[in-house]
Amino acid sequence: MLKRILTTAVAVTMLAVSAGCGSKEDSDAKSTASGEDNSLQAVMDSGKFVLGLDATFKPMGYTDENDEIVGFDIDVAEEVCKRMGVELVKQPINWDTKEEDLNAGRIDCIWNGMSVNPSRAESMNLSDPYMKNEMVFVVPADSDAKGMADLSDKKIGVQNGSTAQTILEESEIGGTCSVQALATNIEALQQMELGIVDAVFLDSIVAGYEITSSGKDYVILPDGLQEEEYAIGFRKNDQKLRDEVQKILGEMKADGTLGEISTEWFGSDVTTVK
Amino acid sequence: MSGAEIQKVFLILLDYLVPTLKIFGFTLLYSIPLGMIVALLKMCRFKPVSWLTNLYILVMRGTPLMLQIIVVFYAVPMLRQQEGLPSFLMHFLEKINIQDENFMFNAVLVAFVLNYAAYFAEIFRGGIEAIPKGQYEAAASLSFTKTQTFFRIILPQVVKRVVPASANEVITLIKDTSLANVVAYEEITLKAKQQMQNYSSLTPLFIAGAFYFVLAMILTVIASAVEKKLNYYK
Repeated sequence: MLKRILTTAVAVTMLAVSAGCGSKEDSDAKSTASGEDNSLQAVMDSGKFVLGLDATFKPMGYTDENDEIVGFDIDVAEEVCKRMGVELVKQPINWDTKEEDLNAGRIDCIWNGMSVNPSRAESMNLSDPYMKNEMVFVVPADSDAKGMADLSDKKIGVQNGSTAQTILEESEIGGTCSVQALATNIEALQQMELGIVDAVFLDSIVAGYEITSSGKDYVILPDGLQEEEYAIGFRKNDQKLRDEVQKILGEMKADGTLGEISTEWFGSDVTTVK
Repeated sequence: MSGAEIQKVFLILLDYLVPTLKIFGFTLLYSIPLGMIVALLKMCRFKPVSWLTNLYILVMRGTPLMLQIIVVFYAVPMLRQQEGLPSFLMHFLEKINIQDENFMFNAVLVAFVLNYAAYFAEIFRGGIEAIPKGQYEAAASLSFTKTQTFFRIILPQVVKRVVPASANEVITLIKDTSLANVVAYEEITLKAKQQMQNYSSLTPLFIAGAFYFVLAMILTVIASAVEKKLNYYK
């Protein structure tokens, strides 16, 4: 009897220990809940800036056909890291648990075309917005919906956990239409093609990119719901790190580097950094 | 998607077959012995142990594996932020580097092992309880000790009986490994989802599906071979 209990105890402990066989190093410094702000120093000391991203948000940060993480945000972050003299580490995360990953210290920032909203501003230390974005409806070209008003009794697909979902659900039209929350924008567009949903509500940057790259017969309705902005999210306490990145972004805007990167991805300088 | 693109996605997914199989293999390696122990604990005559084991099985089978993965993964950083923990535990938690690649693997593995051990335990218990009392009595009359009876007479019969049900679990496990993508563990499904966004197409998911299908097929063949081999009295 006692032997059995002991055996289980040993087995459980072994599992627990094997879970924790990481090395010590830079783990504890960054995630201290209280005390002074050594966020910038911690990044400089470790020589690594860990950028958390969904890696499926085209063209901001996504995985390309060679399994490399690329995108507009990544190019900008690479340049920021070069100027800071640290290495950029691109850490894919699950978008649904991004706040946990940030607070847990798994990543140093969330930088993946993240829209600013009140709850994010509350839970994170956001950078100044670096880009403007609008939320738009996409419908098939042969749809009878010509404007937002025609969608009031329709089924609309959105990405689950996105700001598009919150905006739509809180809007006037969200009360009358039925909202279908899907894992990704691609699935939403695919469902629209199959006729399961009538329209998809998403970021105009993504919508434009998807329509041009897939060559499908979709149109963007002229009236979008809300203008919103993209920002970088840092931990609440990491003021120094946030300010450093913000300062470098300002310098990059001033010397034209940011404009160059933007032109490469979007055809013009669409950034709003001051 | 064109043929060349499909081939490209296929090759990427092929690279991530290893992390998928790593979860699969290590889960089996740890969860089968642990399931055996849990089955014995559940049949323990000292009731509190049996009740605790029941509670463990109830939680593991009663909550989604996806949730369990998230809980195990975030348990360490969340506990670290708690105050008033005993210092030895705090010291232990401090040592864990959550940015480490191994941490993610180990956390996912712990969740899988705990979950699958619960299922295996019930299969094994069913197998042990299905052995007729006469087998124990015959063993006793031949003056076998309790340990000898279990390992030489009961266990070989249990193994035979639990193979079909266990094979079922094993095949489910290969598909369940895809749940690890919930904490962005890089395996076939996560990569397929990323490529799906890249090509704006669902095809990469179907390619991933083909991988699981082939793996399940191989496991099915192995399972029936094992069953045949163990069928030595017919």
